[in-house]
Amino acid sequence: MESQTAVTESQSGATESRGGVAAAREGVAAVRDGAVDPRTGVAALSPRYQIGAALALAVVAVAVCVHIGLTFLHVAPSNTLTKQHGAVMDEWIYPEFEQNWKLFAPNPLQQNISVQVRAEVSTADGGIRTTGWYDLSAQDGRAIDGNPLPSHTQQNELRRAWDFFVATHDSDNRPVGLRGALSETYLRRIAVLRLDRNDAAGPRGVVERVQYRSRTVNVPPPEWSGERVSDRPVYRVLPWWTVPAGETVGGAA
Amino acid sequence: MNRFALSVSRGISRVTDSALGPYQTAVIRIGFSATWLLFLLREFPHRHELYGPDGPWSRDLAEQLITDNGAFTALMWWDGRFWFEAVYALSALACVLLLLGWRTRTMSVLFMAGVLSLQNRSIFMGDGGDNVLHLMSIYLVLTRCGQVWSLDARRAGRAREARARGERVVDRTGPALWGVLGLLLVTVTLAGRLDGDWFVPALLWAVWLGQAVWWVVGRLARSGEPRVLLDVVANIVHNGALFVIMAEACLIYATAGWYKIQGSRWQDGTAVYYPLHLDYFSPWPALADLLTASGTLVLLITYGTVAVQVAFPFTLFNRRIKNVLLAAMIIEHAVIAVVLGLPFFSLAMIAADAVFLPTTFLRRLGGWAERARDRLVPCRGGRAPVPAPRDGKDAEHARVGFSA
Repeated sequence: MESQTAVTESQSGATESRGGVAAAREGVAAVRDGAVDPRTGVAALSPRYQIGAALALAVVAVAVCVHIGLTFLHVAPSNTLTKQHGAVMDEWIYPEFEQNWKLFAPNPLQQNISVQVRAEVSTADGGIRTTGWYDLSAQDGRAIDGNPLPSHTQQNELRRAWDFFVATHDSDNRPVGLRGALSETYLRRIAVLRLDRNDAAGPRGVVERVQYRSRTVNVPPPEWSGERVSDRPVYRVLPWWTVPAGETVGGAA
Repeated sequence: MNRFALSVSRGISRVTDSALGPYQTAVIRIGFSATWLLFLLREFPHRHELYGPDGPWSRDLAEQLITDNGAFTALMWWDGRFWFEAVYALSALACVLLLLGWRTRTMSVLFMAGVLSLQNRSIFMGDGGDNVLHLMSIYLVLTRCGQVWSLDARRAGRAREARARGERVVDRTGPALWGVLGLLLVTVTLAGRLDGDWFVPALLWAVWLGQAVWWVVGRLARSGEPRVLLDVVANIVHNGALFVIMAEACLIYATAGWYKIQGSRWQDGTAVYYPLHLDYFSPWPALADLLTASGTLVLLITYGTVAVQVAFPFTLFNRRIKNVLLAAMIIEHAVIAVVLGLPFFSLAMIAADAVFLPTTFLRRLGGWAERARDRLVPCRGGRAPVPAPRDGKDAEHARVGFSA
């Protein structure tokens, strides 16, 4: 209570004696109104309204502190507080304040992961034909080469879809939870879209099943480092997936 | 004790009497809306594949995920191609109008709705740049970002001149816009389309009701006090949001920096070499080879990046060092835009960096832009009034990152 009175009093004091606050206020009022309007700011309010202003200030101050605090804990490594209050934090952060700033950290990716796909196609004469592997990542890479404005469809679509699949499947390629199932459907639809663009089915052919594999190869270390890493590719082969009849090709086909 | 009370009171009057950083908030408004606008234009040929009902991330998949996480997206309100095209077009339109500062508060809400609608519809299409825009579009709604460099500022100036001449100024566009958007808001709320997470719907309703209160109080209140109180509340919210925007930018750099320190490649000074040799981030392989030809140069850039990112939040307390680091980071992002092929990520980051630019620099920038405009479009009638310079003392404060 004492300090509150001090605040009110010293405010007028500052306005009169120092002039700094008043000048600042005038400056901003001038920005807003083009003329000095004395009737702005808390000082122009009667005590009844000042309580309202103080309340607003308190609410905003608390909200700002809580939001920044929770955001900090969200981006911080797992720690004592996040372990104890994870549920409360997630309640506030998700879905709209989710964020991840581990940009090329702790270590940048040091492998090129090529995602490749092939298809089983039923041909017009009633036979079944298996296509060769289409290296979709290499196609993305070629689209990005020399391109000052790479599209998200080239840079993110397949790359992140694959990350999503890896994150939602165990090492035996079994899906974990709802998201695992979603990621399979997503990859399958990307495959159908990209195979169609490559005209993999040929005239009057139909893609019946698709199969993905990834080919991971280390980025060769810089010459000046003297390091050596294996240049042998590692493959991860997924099972064949049946394409449901009538699954439409992506809108941009 | 007296000095403490005095400084507290000065602090309180600083954050209540004015919406701080008018130029900083205007420049990020322009920066973020321009980034999203350019992105939408660039992706126009790919829009169906990215966000359309028949894209690989189909409507059905999106519906399952959104039912699960409750994210806001107007794209799911109605089905069909027409609605999708309308949302995409309106999102771009909102960018243009926010950039120009026309009905800034309303446009900032539509800008946010556009960004969230498209991004939340297909979350696996985005990258760090989208993430920055996502957060900043929400924060921007809470700022008074049209105080300068906006059509709103020009309109306010003209209205003031008209009132000074004794004319009556009646605004019909504002209430009409409010009515149309209110109808939409009521419709989708009653139709149960806002039943996901509560935050964004609550924000939409709060701004809509807030504008109504603002208008009513401006017209009817007999004494000036309710109007002044609303002005004070708007200032407080603005200053809070501006602080959050700055803190968010600091969190981005701090997180990026502190996690890098823990990585062996950032420690041995080779980290920068690797992204430049990933197929997805090397649009100019020859340029990447040139940049990484020298191990010493790669080491310097690697260590420099970490040092700048970790140090940045702390340098806000020293204006000069802050400005040097700011320049370094803006240059680094410009380089990343080209070398790693991440133009929109870099633009978004530069826009976020711009919130820390000094007022004097921004005013000079505004002067150049104005002269360039006058040269391109000569003999324009009714120029926007140039805001009066703030007095020296205040401008000095504004240059220090945190208090700006």
